[in-house]
Amino acid sequence: MTGSLFERSETLYRRRRAANRLMTGVMVLAVVVALVPLFFILFYLVTKGIGGLTLDLLTQDPNRPGRPGGGVRNAIAGSAIMVGLATAIGTPIAIGCGVFLAEYGQNRLGTVIRFLVDVMAGIPSITVGLFVYGLVVLPQKGFTAFAGALALAIILIPIVARITEEMVLLVPRSLREAAYALGAPRWRTVLRVVLPTATPGIVTGVILALSRIAGEAAPLLFTSLGNQFFSTDVFQAMDALPLRIFVYAVGPYDYWHEQAWAMSLLLVGAILVVSLIVRALFGTRVTVRQ
Amino acid sequence: MVTGPLALVATAAALLLTVACNGAAGPARTPTAVATPAGIPVNVGKGDSAQLTGAGSTFAAPVYQAWADDYHDLVAKGVRINYQSIGSGGGIQQFTEGTVDFGATDAPMTDAELAKAPDAQHLPMVMGAVVLTYSLEGLKAPLRFDGPTLAKIYLGQVTKWNDPAIVAINPGVKLPNSKIQVVHRSDGSGTSFVFTDWLSKVSPEWKAKIGVSKNPNWPAGQGGKGNEGVTSAVKQTPNALGYVELNYALANKLPFADVQNRAGHFVTPGSASTAAAAEGVAIPEDYRVSITNSEGADAYPIAAFTFMLVHRDAKSCSAQKPLVDFLWWALHAQDATAAADELNYTPVPASVATRLERTLLSLTCQGKAVLAP
Repeated sequence: MTGSLFERSETLYRRRRAANRLMTGVMVLAVVVALVPLFFILFYLVTKGIGGLTLDLLTQDPNRPGRPGGGVRNAIAGSAIMVGLATAIGTPIAIGCGVFLAEYGQNRLGTVIRFLVDVMAGIPSITVGLFVYGLVVLPQKGFTAFAGALALAIILIPIVARITEEMVLLVPRSLREAAYALGAPRWRTVLRVVLPTATPGIVTGVILALSRIAGEAAPLLFTSLGNQFFSTDVFQAMDALPLRIFVYAVGPYDYWHEQAWAMSLLLVGAILVVSLIVRALFGTRVTVRQ
Repeated sequence: MVTGPLALVATAAALLLTVACNGAAGPARTPTAVATPAGIPVNVGKGDSAQLTGAGSTFAAPVYQAWADDYHDLVAKGVRINYQSIGSGGGIQQFTEGTVDFGATDAPMTDAELAKAPDAQHLPMVMGAVVLTYSLEGLKAPLRFDGPTLAKIYLGQVTKWNDPAIVAINPGVKLPNSKIQVVHRSDGSGTSFVFTDWLSKVSPEWKAKIGVSKNPNWPAGQGGKGNEGVTSAVKQTPNALGYVELNYALANKLPFADVQNRAGHFVTPGSASTAAAAEGVAIPEDYRVSITNSEGADAYPIAAFTFMLVHRDAKSCSAQKPLVDFLWWALHAQDATAAADELNYTPVPASVATRLERTLLSLTCQGKAVLAP
């Protein structure tokens, strides 16, 4: 009897181990399938883009149409300015919203706001562009980098807000209790204890949102319009890398196509470098588990 | 559109730069003199400083961007005229909304559109030709087309390259028994306007069914966005036929067809045949005119003026003055003519140029003449 019981448990054990192996295999396969397109994109991007990635591309403004050469300095500067401005406008609002949701949002008002933030995150970026066109461009009578940055900020806010909420909720109770025990009021606890603890996670969220908006062309089409000249004036039309990629990719000239690939590579590379730098500065994960 | 102190600094910097350049080896290119009637200073535009934005016609985008580049490099360092090709429909729309300093369109504004922007002044800047381009393997000589056949192709009635209608006007040409991949514009387009304007003149059926439009209800074919989009589609699709502005076909080394004109001749599109299209056409006071299907024996039938849209009396002098200076330069300077020539645009006839001078002199801002001495 004991022997057969042992044998039965042994077969059961084998079967479970086989199932386990099978499912692990399926998971590994799924990961590979998910990663293959990513590597293909990166490989394709590098092979197509590396040829056009010259010093001129970074330091020259575009030549007039049809004359090969020139660069996209105006688009690089424009993207940096508008993404920077959008982050400056959007991040404080988003972090405030996220902290509110985490700290004071466990009620009906919080549920409503959370729902609205999720809806906002789902709005197509072209619609955001149209909204800012109606709200800012038409009344102000002009296409401006500021309008472009505003559209990008609107896309950034829900992403950063929800990540901030998650990160603040991850901060352990014991830390807050320690602060309260020392007599700190709630606002001071949030500002001095909770937020600094959650900072690495929030920064990761900001980078995530940043890389999303840096690649957006749709919201800029009718807000910042584009500019063939180098411009740093935020109240003028401004160029951006995605806009120029959009124009060059479908354009008639071969050197445009090459530059479009190079710009795509540049955009991906820049996002990678920025996230590496910021991660190095702020650490990689939230240290919360005890 | 110009910031006060910054503009001053920019002007000063530009002046210093000019002086420095002249003091040293000198700039690589020296601007040619601008012919001026009595009372207009020779150095028109010098010392201007502004960032202006214009948008519209993709047809004219290469020449406007080239002019803006040359004007910035050769004449006024402080003036940056940003032109974005969003299509003629968009150009009229944005000019009417006042979001741009000037608009550009190949289709003159309709009376209904003018009612919304009564201050708009059309300025024919250059002429261009819409050409039929195609991707057929192994053809040596250019194809020939006539209006009725093209209308049938775009109506979806002629679908094969070896259709008797095409073979009849292309004797001796081996045409494949394959489907014509018809390409048209997908956006509101002045090029479409010019093309459908001509088709309506030569095909009663087209006029009745489709008519003249910047954005017609295409019965056949696939769409491409902008002249660029149609060019790319024709380039990448075998057996395709599309219509684009001449320069787009030349820049891509795409072949283009000879088209039968009103006098019955098959004419190759080019500067001379485009100029011939404007001859003998009575041009109204507001310049809103169509020169398709023109009468001359050498006239290319699908030719058009491309218009810039400016304010007759602008609210802002800081935008209007540099803009009118720029337009004056574009109409007179040899550099501007050379740039247009390099991009295969045709200058407006001398009679129109003289009238344009008067129109430019009549433009004002806040009630004051802009170009007067």
